[in-house]
Amino acid sequence: MALFKKTLSPVSAMAMIAVLDIFLFQIVGSWTVGGGETMMTGLIARLFMGESLSRIPFWNVAFPPDPGYWKIYISLGMLFGAVVGAVLSKEFSWRMPHRLSEWVMITIGGLLMGIGIRLAFVCNVSTFYGLTPEMNLGGYLAISGILAGAWVGTWIYKKSLEG
Amino acid sequence: MNATAQCLTAFVFGSVVGLLVQRSRYCNVAALRDAMLFKTYRNTKALLVAMMILTLGFTAFITVGAGKPMHFDVGLNTFAGLFLFGIGMVLAGACTVSTWVKAGEGNIGAIWALMFTFIGMFLFSLLWSFIYWPPAPDTMTGVHNLAGLQLGFANAATLQEKTHVPAIVFGAVQTLVLFGIYRAILRRERAGARTSEAAAARESAACDAWAGNETAVPQGAARVAAEQSA
Repeated sequence: MALFKKTLSPVSAMAMIAVLDIFLFQIVGSWTVGGGETMMTGLIARLFMGESLSRIPFWNVAFPPDPGYWKIYISLGMLFGAVVGAVLSKEFSWRMPHRLSEWVMITIGGLLMGIGIRLAFVCNVSTFYGLTPEMNLGGYLAISGILAGAWVGTWIYKKSLEG
Repeated sequence: MNATAQCLTAFVFGSVVGLLVQRSRYCNVAALRDAMLFKTYRNTKALLVAMMILTLGFTAFITVGAGKPMHFDVGLNTFAGLFLFGIGMVLAGACTVSTWVKAGEGNIGAIWALMFTFIGMFLFSLLWSFIYWPPAPDTMTGVHNLAGLQLGFANAATLQEKTHVPAIVFGAVQTLVLFGIYRAILRRERAGARTSEAAAARESAACDAWAGNETAVPQGAARVAAEQSA
């Protein structure tokens, strides 16, 4: 099948995703990832902490863990779709960063993404493919923030490449 | 629609997204980082095209009161959160989409990034439980609250309600702005291609001239053109 033999144009791929996102907007709401990841965090934490998790006000007031939260399944679907794509195109292989500096950068980057999502209540997907197309004021604030952050991150990345 | 049907719809949507992103090697991080660092726009153009389609689609539905727009207050936390997120995604080399997609390709670094995203969220949940800021969704008021550094809520529907101009008109204006950025990128790419073509032709001509060939310049340029068409 041609789809699994050559790389698809990102413009075509994102145009198709955008059309599907419009349908999703009609049915349940626009594409988002951060909310589902937060719910997964709560569910994983409950697995370790049991009912004592509800003593942390955030998980009691703002985000009570609920496995029936539809946004979780977007992320699980993306993982499934990527596995299918990678296996059928013979691109699946276990890879890992080799340098300690890469592990450090990924760890700090992951932590900042998690903190940023919860602080803003949105992630980059909601910013670009939800809030801004809905012309939500938050979309413009979020785009300004992510552009400034990406610029700082790029500067750090460049310095690390030079160093 | 019941919860099971919602979850199933979300899973089908996510699966198609995962497949298309994996097969196209699209990456939101690259859309910003590569434009800033390498002046290459492969992913940036895809991001802009998606945003143009979505703006028109969403505002068309909002005009007739359909669709399910996001509804929560925004404020300083929106800017600050995405600022931290922007730094984080470049350092991690993946965003919320590419961590899942790369994890599906067997990338341990992406799985590590995902794990620390969850840890970061949990750490913030502990901090939030002391400061109670930003406000929890059920305490949001929808209006500005400067003491809480909140600007309230406004989207295309608000614009339509306040101005009596259909939301799609504002959507069309935003789409034109995005298209303007897209065209500027295409112009920059063409100018870049011409510059490198001219540089290659000059270099080739210089090599031919050094070899004592009197018709060096046309031959050099022709060779570059032939190479490009091939």
